[in-house]
Amino acid sequence: MLGELEQVVLLAVLRVGKDAYGVPVHDEIQRRAGRDLTLGTIYKTLTRLEDKGLVSSRIGEPTAQRGGRRTRCYAVTNAGKRSLQATFKTLRTMAAGLDVGLEPS
Amino acid sequence: MIRLAAWLLERFLRPEVSDTVIGDLIEQRARGTFWILRQTMSALWNLHARRRPGDNLVMTFLADLRIAARLLRRSPAFTAVSVLTLGLAIGATTAIYSVIEPVLLRTLPYPSPERLVFVWERDRDGGRDNVGYLTFRDFVNESKTIESAAAIGSWQPTLSGENAERVTGDRVSWSYFKTLGVKPEIGRDFTPDEDVPFANNGVVILSHGLWERRFGADRGIVGRTISVNDNPYTVVGVMPASFDNVVSPTAQIWRPLGYASQPYTCRTCHHLRMIARIHASASMTAAATEIDNIHQRMEKAFPDQYASVGALTVPVQDEMTRAVRPALLALAAAVILVLLIAVANVVNLQLARAVRRQDEFSIRVALGAGRSRLFGQLLTEGLLLAALGGVAGLIVARVSLPILVSKLPPSLPRLAAIHVSGFALAAVSGIVLVLAVVMGLVPARSPSGDLGIGLRSGRRLIGRRNHALRVSLVIGEIALAMLLLVSAGLVSRSLIRLLSVDIGFDAQHLLTLEINSVGKRYNSNESVWAYHDRVRGAIRALPGVADVAVANQLPLGGNLDMYGVLDPDNLPSNPEMTPSADRYAVSEGYFKTMRIPVIRGRSFTATEHADTNQRLAMVSQGLADKLWPGVDPVGKRIRLGGVKGVDRRVIGVAGNVKHRGLDATTGMQWYVPERQWFSDNQEVLIVRTTVDPASLASPVRTAVSAIDATQPVVNIATMDRVISMSTAQRRLALVLFAAFAVAALLLAVAGIYGVLAGSVAERTSEIGVRSALGATPRDIIGLVVGQGGRLAAIGIGLGLLGSIAATRYLHSLLFNISPNDPVTLGGVAALLACVTLAACWIPARRAARVDPSRALRSE
Repeated sequence: MLGELEQVVLLAVLRVGKDAYGVPVHDEIQRRAGRDLTLGTIYKTLTRLEDKGLVSSRIGEPTAQRGGRRTRCYAVTNAGKRSLQATFKTLRTMAAGLDVGLEPS
Repeated sequence: MIRLAAWLLERFLRPEVSDTVIGDLIEQRARGTFWILRQTMSALWNLHARRRPGDNLVMTFLADLRIAARLLRRSPAFTAVSVLTLGLAIGATTAIYSVIEPVLLRTLPYPSPERLVFVWERDRDGGRDNVGYLTFRDFVNESKTIESAAAIGSWQPTLSGENAERVTGDRVSWSYFKTLGVKPEIGRDFTPDEDVPFANNGVVILSHGLWERRFGADRGIVGRTISVNDNPYTVVGVMPASFDNVVSPTAQIWRPLGYASQPYTCRTCHHLRMIARIHASASMTAAATEIDNIHQRMEKAFPDQYASVGALTVPVQDEMTRAVRPALLALAAAVILVLLIAVANVVNLQLARAVRRQDEFSIRVALGAGRSRLFGQLLTEGLLLAALGGVAGLIVARVSLPILVSKLPPSLPRLAAIHVSGFALAAVSGIVLVLAVVMGLVPARSPSGDLGIGLRSGRRLIGRRNHALRVSLVIGEIALAMLLLVSAGLVSRSLIRLLSVDIGFDAQHLLTLEINSVGKRYNSNESVWAYHDRVRGAIRALPGVADVAVANQLPLGGNLDMYGVLDPDNLPSNPEMTPSADRYAVSEGYFKTMRIPVIRGRSFTATEHADTNQRLAMVSQGLADKLWPGVDPVGKRIRLGGVKGVDRRVIGVAGNVKHRGLDATTGMQWYVPERQWFSDNQEVLIVRTTVDPASLASPVRTAVSAIDATQPVVNIATMDRVISMSTAQRRLALVLFAAFAVAALLLAVAGIYGVLAGSVAERTSEIGVRSALGATPRDIIGLVVGQGGRLAAIGIGLGLLGSIAATRYLHSLLFNISPNDPVTLGGVAALLACVTLAACWIPARRAARVDPSRALRSE
């Protein structure tokens, strides 16, 4: 079962696709969920997800735009996708039949 | 900003982490400084290396700090109370020490300040007296240990011209600045040939403040002529802003003394202060002995001109602070007590929390935390709390210090030098550090005792040692609070007694101001007297004015104008041994305006006031008793102003007035009609009003200015205000003592409440058993109140002993009251007893309401 922050970040990485490093992930979350997470929080979550094997990362090329610093781009692993599926399944099961506005209509 | 961020991130994060974050920040730097700052802080917070075996101390500390911060955030009431308590106490301590440091401790801002001394004549009663010019000259000429010396006389000139203004200054020997070891910033110092009588063209040196304020900081002022007292004076120099004049803190302008011949060159006119710089080769004791010997030779050579016995040589540093030192030291001690109480209270709160956190510690120990880790955690919490308290304290000090300084007497040396000083800051840092250790150490003792028990027994552990410590802290708090309350009580009772002293005149509905008559048009006595008559006439015509009078000085106004008084029919062998009394040269209506009673004989008639040829006088009861004990003085002859003075006929006796201060003992005054003395160019105008005197300030000022706009009107104030100014130092001390005492009382009450509330919470089950076994709510209340009462009684007893031992150091602030005044001691003890018992009441009620079934079920 994934934590809420982990779900949000995993989904954002999936949405961004290629070149998913801190800034695009941050912007995606802000655009869709309206939450202004800090880069520190995002990288901390990504590191934790990587430790659990749910994302993988590769080092990008340094660019002048970044003052010669490299990017670290993340991708969701298969284990990550399974983990998301499991989480969503659990939520759906738990919500089934409850009349509190959780079931998709 | 981005560079700072990169530097910070590189410094604290692992390179592979910092690189990506810094890259992101550089890429997005357009989002602004605030964004970068926020991201940096967050990255530092979230991404620094996790704690693992082998991690360095800094990282552990940071982690502990985060936990501590989270804990403090989670109990906002505890945090707020602790930080506020510490902040107020540290702030008050810093403020008081910021005053004490420059005023009492810092050395004078002159080269070799320890060699600077005041030289006084020593009175028979051990007091000190100013010197006459010839005495000063002989000291300088005969001494081999004095390197340089100067005489100082007060001078209050009017700067004529537009916006005529009276300023405070000094007439000084040419060597004045040289003796202090300071030089003008612009222009030059005085020269010996300028310090001669009737120098054709007078010269002045200006203070930096006066130069900026009145002369627009014009560097070209040097060499120019300004009008002082309607006479031309050439400005030869301007002192630097850094010149800190501890000898005369309020002086703004200086001119050479210009004595050396009659009439002011005498031994008997004690109106000069003398400073001297002792030769580096001479020891200070040798110099003091030599100067004393010179004075004794002078006494032998002129036996009828000295009443003093020897000379006193006092370091300038000591002399400057003599008057305020006892009060400041008493306040310093008081504020330290407040700090101690505050610390005791915060430690107490920490202890109470430690008891509640027993489970947390037990679990952490069970999970493998070492003793040092727990200690480190507690130490960090203490440090954080102390640091927050320190910051709050600094804010309190910054806010309160200017208020405090504005209430200090302006004659206090080095007022301008007072600011939240490095010394006080260092002291606060030291206090904060000690606090941190104490607050960390004390609670750490309880978990380190037997860490397993808490978890095994599965119930709250009541640390016995911990409880004993908390109880002793509360007892200490009550004792210290008692001491402070007694001090405040004594000071306030003194002030009440002081203010109810019979001052000898009716101070209500009096408006006073100083009027001047300087310049060429007032060169004759007649012109000055005529001016006074015109002013009195104009003021009397104002609505709301009942009476008006002019006098050369004002009771309690801070003036000192005394003359020797002789009975010509009973001349003593040494006329200097005769009493001195306050001189009052008064206009018509003085006694009526002041409402000073005429006890015997009569006061001067209008005809006598107008008569410049007669020689009449009135004396106060105190002076009459001194000169003619038991004899009716009316009709006696009196000689005023020394052996060569003029004999006058006493026509009446007036009631004594307090002249020097409310606490002055003697009431010796003599009165003459102003036209039967020489005229003064600075006088006091006294107006008795039928309405609120303050409301007449503006009309009176306008009326005086309308008569001669070139003459400044200064120090306009109601008599009530003049009196309250004369007690300013005591009032300030009282306000501070009262504030400290109230703070101490509140803290002590909070302390005893906390201990009892904690104890009731810990003993809930015991109380439940007691009620189940038949104890009535009354019994339970008695139990808790009894526990609190015992603490209070011990604390009050100790406080009583402490007060008896310590309050004698307050003597300089007391008036007509014993330091062990039983009323104050008893009253404070009763007050403390009531307040502490009231504080016991709430926990006691809570204990009485304990439902036995519920208390026992929770077992």
